[in-house]
This record gives sequence, C-alpha cells and structure tokens, in this order.
Amino acid sequence: MRMGIQSWFDERFGISAIMEFLRKKTVPQHKHTIWYYTGSSILFFFVVQVITGFMLAFYYKPTLEEANKSVARIMTEVPLGWIIRSVHFWSASFMIALVFIHLIGIWLVKSYRKPRELTWMSGVFLLIVTLLFGFTGYLLPWDDLSLSATKVGTDIPRSIPVIGAWVTQFLRGGEDVTGDTLSRFFSFHICILPIFVLLIIAIHIYLIQKQGMSLPLAAEIKEEKVREIPFWPNFVYREMIVWLILGGVLFSLAVFFPPSLDKQADLMAPAPQGIKPEWYFLFLFQTLKIFPAKILFVSGVSVAALLIALAGILFFFLPFIDNRPSGKKGKILTLFAYTLIAYAVAMTAWSLWR
Amino acid sequence: MKFRMKRKFSIKKKFLVWLLFLGFFFLLFFTQSQFGQEAKPAEQSKALKPEKTPEKIIPSPSNIKEATGIYVFLAWMWLSIIVLIYFLRLKIKEVDRLHRMGYFSEKKK
Amino acid sequence: MKLKHSLFTRRQFLNGLFGGWIGALLASFLYPIIRFVFPPTREPDQVVLPFLDFKDMAPNSVKNFSWGSKPGILKKNDDGTYTAFVAVCSHLDCNVTYLPDKKKFFCACHEGWYDEQGRNIAGPPPRPLRRLVLAVEGENLIISREGFEGAPKK
Repeated sequence: MRMGIQSWFDERFGISAIMEFLRKKTVPQHKHTIWYYTGSSILFFFVVQVITGFMLAFYYKPTLEEANKSVARIMTEVPLGWIIRSVHFWSASFMIALVFIHLIGIWLVKSYRKPRELTWMSGVFLLIVTLLFGFTGYLLPWDDLSLSATKVGTDIPRSIPVIGAWVTQFLRGGEDVTGDTLSRFFSFHICILPIFVLLIIAIHIYLIQKQGMSLPLAAEIKEEKVREIPFWPNFVYREMIVWLILGGVLFSLAVFFPPSLDKQADLMAPAPQGIKPEWYFLFLFQTLKIFPAKILFVSGVSVAALLIALAGILFFFLPFIDNRPSGKKGKILTLFAYTLIAYAVAMTAWSLWR
Repeated sequence: MKFRMKRKFSIKKKFLVWLLFLGFFFLLFFTQSQFGQEAKPAEQSKALKPEKTPEKIIPSPSNIKEATGIYVFLAWMWLSIIVLIYFLRLKIKEVDRLHRMGYFSEKKK
Repeated sequence: MKLKHSLFTRRQFLNGLFGGWIGALLASFLYPIIRFVFPPTREPDQVVLPFLDFKDMAPNSVKNFSWGSKPGILKKNDDGTYTAFVAVCSHLDCNVTYLPDKKKFFCACHEGWYDEQGRNIAGPPPRPLRRLVLAVEGENLIISREGFEGAPKK
C-alpha cells in the first residue's frame, strides 16, 4: 500500500526525478569534507527558528504597551513557554555562529571561484538577512537592554553620508525609536525577512545543486581523483547524525540556560549600565568604539561606518577580486581571511572584557 | 526445505528488551503529563493579587513535577539520540559498502 | 509456537526500529508543542465584586460584569432576588442581551430566545444559559461557578 501511495504522488509530482538526482549527486570526501556539513546545519536551525517563531507569535503582542508583558506571560503563564522562547533564543545564536563558520569555510577552500560567484553573493545576502533577523528579533521583548541596543544600532547608519539619515528613519519609522519602530521590526522579523530569506535560500540551493559540490583548491590543482559518496542516502545519513547532536545540545542548553527578561523599557530613562549588542555584533561595536570622536573634520563614527561599509562591499565582490585564487593573490587573501578572523575574535573578546 | 531462524538472542532476552521499550514509552507519557502542572498554581494566585511588574523574570520550571518531567525528557532525548546515531552508523556502513561494491551503479530494480 | 519463516527480515526489523524510534522522538517533542498551543482555559472559579454597585438595581433590570474573558449578566428579578448568568448564547457563542419589556434574553446572531430563568424557548439555542452561584458576604457580592467548593452559601 505504501508503494501505491508513493507512486500515486510520483505520477503527479514527479518526485522520483528529484530523488534520482539526489542519488546521482555526489559529495567529495577529503580532509575538508567537514565544512560541507555546515550548510544543512544552518537549515536545521532555521527550521527550528520557524517552528518556535510560529509558536511565540501566537502569544506575542507587538505593541509598545503589551510587548514586554506578553513575553512575560509566555515565560510565566503559558505552559512551557519559557522553554520555547529559550530554544528560539539559543537557536538564533547557533544559526548565526554556523553562518559565520560556513562563510569562513567557503573562504578558506575558495569555493567562491568560478563558476560559484553567484552562490557566494547570495550567501552574503543570506548573512546580512540572518544578522537582520537577529537584530530585529532582539528588540521584540522591549526591555531596557534591547531598547538601548536598538537605539545605538539604528543610529549608526545615520553617519553614512547622503543616505544615512534616511536609512535611520526607515529603520526606526521616524526620527526616534518608538512604538512604530517595534511594529516595523516585528513586521520585518516575521514577514519581510522570511520572504526574502526563503527566496535567497532557494536561489542559493538551486545554484549549489546545478553546479555540484565544489572541490577544495588544492585538490583541483592536483587534479587528483577524489573519492565521492552519493548524496542520498550516504551523505544525508551522516548529516542526520550532525543534526541529532546539534539538536540535543541546543535543547539541553535551552533548558539549563534560559534567557531572562528585564522589565519593560522606559523611553525616557537613561541608558542602563553595561549595554551591549548581541555577541555577533560585538566586534563591530568594538570597532566603532576604538575610533576617536573626530578625525580631521569628520566624526569618528562616520569614518568607521564608511570603512565597514567599504569592507562589506569588497567582501561581497570577493570572487571577482580573488580571480586567481591559486596564485599569489589568492594566498594573500587567505592570509587576509585569517587576519579578519583574528581581528573579529580579538574585538569580541576585548568588548566582553570591559 | 527446512528453514530455521538463527536466533542470536534467546526469547527471554528479546522479551526483556521489548518490556524495557514499553517501559520507556510509558515512562515518557507519564512524565509528559507532569508538564501541564505549572498552569494551575499560576492561575489560582492570579485572582486577587495586584499587578506588580517584577524587575527581572528568570525562568525556571514552576514545580518539582515539571522539573522532574523535563529532566526525564532530556534523559530520554539523549538516549534516543545515542540509539539513533548507533542505527545511523550501521546504515552508513552498509550503504557505503554497497556503494563501494557498485550495487547502485547500473543494476536498477 | 515456533515459526517456520521469520515474520520480517533483519533489514525490515532494523529499519522499522529506526523509523519507529525517530517517530517516537518527534512525537515526544510534539507533546510540549501541543501543550503550548492549547493553553488551559482561563475561566475564573470565582469573581468578587462590591455589592454596592448592584444593591440599588431596579427590579427586572440587568447589569453586566466580567466573568473572566466572557460577559456575565446579573439580573435583579421582580421579587428582589438576583440571578447571574454567563451571557453567552449556547448556540454559537454570541453575547446575549436582556430585553426587559419582553422579559426575555435575546441573541441577535440567529434570533435565539431565552426566558427570565435563562431557559431556551425559541430559536436555535440547544441549551439554557449557564447559571452562576451568587452569595453576599459583607460588602462583597461573590459570584462562583456551579460546583465550586469555595462558594459561600447564601
């Protein structure tokens, strides 16, 4: 009977064509294979976020008066609400961490080289969208810390010349952070960003399937015959093991280290002590802090923001900058990757130390 | 032709294993029913207490039953993960072996 | 009883075990999700109101009060006694109103009628209006749900 149902659907959907493709698709096995697991792990956490996000949205109320109270209600009254919120919170950190790891992996094995430039660029979009998810989600509990973090975060674009003020107004829904900002951020978080992220994920995954799994540069140069295993079911079974372990760690952390909730934000109160953004923004935050208040006649923040924006653009066009990854240029850029990683880690550590 | 099922384990052992299995499932559902306990204590105290906004809400299970239920659930979860990984490793070994001997290449049912 | 042939192959057994265990794990995650999505009902056992608000009601008049998130109707009868109902129609949950000139409760959604005692007399409602137990203690009017042990006697 099971085969009957399967073939009924297959006649109409043609799923067996997809399964055939997945069986034929191969994954190379070499010493850098471990990086291949990062992509699907990100998807795993994304699915967890969607499910827990759906559930939280059942009870969350996105208005200035009710936001904090509704989160408090989720944490105290709704059965196991605190666990669901905790899973959502931890899964966000895991997903962003994995996005960074995935990025580093791709950079180090230089998978962005031809013909995978678009895959890299869609990936950069995914990085930005993921960080925006984190940024918009952080405001939603509307407590002191998240309000201050949002105020600072939405003020930074202001220092970009020409368009800066507009960007800040767009993000805030006005000049200041108000209830309108909350509504806007909520709309971004559950509606606008999800649609964008799904579209870009579809493009990203399509490109990967079309072009096949990339080989690390060294293997391609030597043109050695690399051992390959079929994607389905061999590689997927291995991925399942990774998902199981990640899911177990996620849930255990969520139960034992749930996030707390501070009291409702007061728009008129001074900034609380020790405000800082979430860990994934700390290195940017610290970079801004080390710039002096004024450089010549431009504000330090402006220079910093411009530099970061410039870095972002170069980062986006990396496949075109590193068009000879096997040559000297490529080696310099690999070194540069290590420098950036060291910089980000050092900045994060420094900002945590203070 | 006489076919005799080669038994690796005795009937007694198999029976014990199945019993353990069932025991786990019962334990699971029993502890899950403890999850709902926290709703009632919260409700009754809500009746006449004035609304005060606490400084910071630190979440935790609201009663011992719920806490125990959660810990048992975590134990079940990790046990399942270990068992499933064991099965997956078996499947991986088999499927790798089949691939290496070319089982999937041209021979299609 | 010894079988001549095994019921299933070792492969089927192991696959079944594997799939079944995954199913059990997912099902065990489903339980907290269901508890989350279906929170317990928030109807109160008792509502305490100051009696002063209701002392000077005219006979054959009603006053509304909150029964949790449902509306409640407190009716002062012609003989001076009080009756309390949950003002929700037993048909499809619309809020009912009292028409003093007709001495009937009316539900506008599908024209359901209830008499003074809350009994369903015309239209689609299948059951009478739900009654609540009343008691006066000192300054307070205590309205409790039927069957609640903590209800004081009046």
